Amino acid sequence: MECRRHADPRIGRTPSVIRLRGLVKQYEARRVLHDIDLHVEAGEFIFLTGPSGAGKSTLLRLLYAAEKPTEGEVWVAGSRVDQLARSRLPALRRKIGVIFQDFKLLRRKTVMENITFVLRFHGLAPREAHKRAYLVLKRLGLHHRQSAYPDALSGGEQQRVAIARALAYQPRLILADEPTGNLDADLAAELLSLLCDINYQGATVVVATHDHSLLESIPARSLVLGGGTIEYDGSWPP
Amino acid sequence: MIRHALAEGWLLFRQRWPISVTLALALAIPVCLVGFTVTLTGWLKPLAEATGEAQVVPILLHPHMDEGQRQAWLDDLATRHPDWKIRRVPPEELARRLVHWFPYLSDLLKGDSGGLLPPLVEVSAKDPSELDDLAGSPAVIAIGPRSSLRRFVEVAVTRAGWLLGLVSLVLLACTGLLVAIWVHLELYRHGDEITIMRLVGATEATIRGPFLVAIAIPAGVAGALAIAGTIGLTTVFTRLAAALGLPPLAPNAALLVGQVVVAVALPLAAAGFTLARHAVTEIEG
Repeated sequence: MECRRHADPRIGRTPSVIRLRGLVKQYEARRVLHDIDLHVEAGEFIFLTGPSGAGKSTLLRLLYAAEKPTEGEVWVAGSRVDQLARSRLPALRRKIGVIFQDFKLLRRKTVMENITFVLRFHGLAPREAHKRAYLVLKRLGLHHRQSAYPDALSGGEQQRVAIARALAYQPRLILADEPTGNLDADLAAELLSLLCDINYQGATVVVATHDHSLLESIPARSLVLGGGTIEYDGSWPP
Repeated sequence: MIRHALAEGWLLFRQRWPISVTLALALAIPVCLVGFTVTLTGWLKPLAEATGEAQVVPILLHPHMDEGQRQAWLDDLATRHPDWKIRRVPPEELARRLVHWFPYLSDLLKGDSGGLLPPLVEVSAKDPSELDDLAGSPAVIAIGPRSSLRRFVEVAVTRAGWLLGLVSLVLLACTGLLVAIWVHLELYRHGDEITIMRLVGATEATIRGPFLVAIAIPAGVAGALAIAGTIGLTTVFTRLAAALGLPPLAPNAALLVGQVVVAVALPLAAAGFTLARHAVTEIEG
């Protein structure tokens, strides 16, 4: 399996999609992240790994502005997220596809509605949204469950719906928090293949995982978080 | 997103219909009460104009006195009681007051400029009982009530108006609070859903729309009920007044429109305020 790890050197340096400068995140007395400096170019595929509690999910939450940093700068897709006005957050989040660890599906909406609902924010007509959602669900093997409600799905199926929702509007940046946590090996491989395809088409992908076997499955830039800082930044294995 | 707001708002309304109905009634009653109070106050206004301050006592003078004798009598009165304020009421004003309270006299008094009616003067005195002595004067044919009962009635009517207004305002404030609590509870119940919607890029308008629709439905119903209530109350009052030969009460069209505006705007404002506070707490908290 191969993803587009870096931009084509013939084109030159690509614009950064993520830039972190002197990032610090502290919860009361506990400092989760400190002095994080990071630069992610457009089109990169990145694994973010580290032990539980290393701050992987916190870092992702800072990127999609679910939290504000204690100190430092967070730049995503050219916007300084930590200083972004509340009214501009939806526009930023619509540029990012987030695959949440706990799926975050709307319980009162069907599988299809969970996806079309988001597509409607992006200005797609109902028919077009339905068509695109169906294609993504088919790709993830869930088209036969489009009318089911999330509570009627298994953990793996819910995870795939969450993935389908994040991928359906073809965002330029995908943040995935433990996306294979509830999937068996075959489905995990299929998901990784899907993310690689999307990355190959130009999207930047950041996958937070503690599963080292994932890191070995494709050659990609890996960031190892530990003790609140980036301990390693390079290809896997170190 | 309008379709989403309408569909989800209708769902919220249906799921919580007992609360929605309570809300509509809780809103309709004070708005109706305000409307009726304003109408009643407007209806009583001529009475207040006629009576003026508490110490004003109307005195009907003998019609056979000529203008010179009448003026001399009044001058004498003013000399003997310098603290009294004496005002001659024009015949047209007297006719207008009579027609207001006894509409069936309108034909009789139409165009009359004093031919039928005796001259009327109004005397303002700190102690109305001081005017008792005038009852024996040959220049006077009648003196209006000098007891404190009329004053009591006037004060009671004025205070009842204020009281009704105050009660209405308190009820309206309670309704606003009820709406805010309802929205707060619904936001709490849908907290996860709202968080997810925010995280996937839903705008605040998309998130707030269903709640505002769910509030706008009972608010609209409350507006209609308030109008119906005001018209109903004034109709009942008009029937009572007609039995006494008094003029009818009629609510102003602008007042009815105002009632609908208040019934809709107040809960929407309360809901909007609560939603805005929730957004700030959730994103920045």
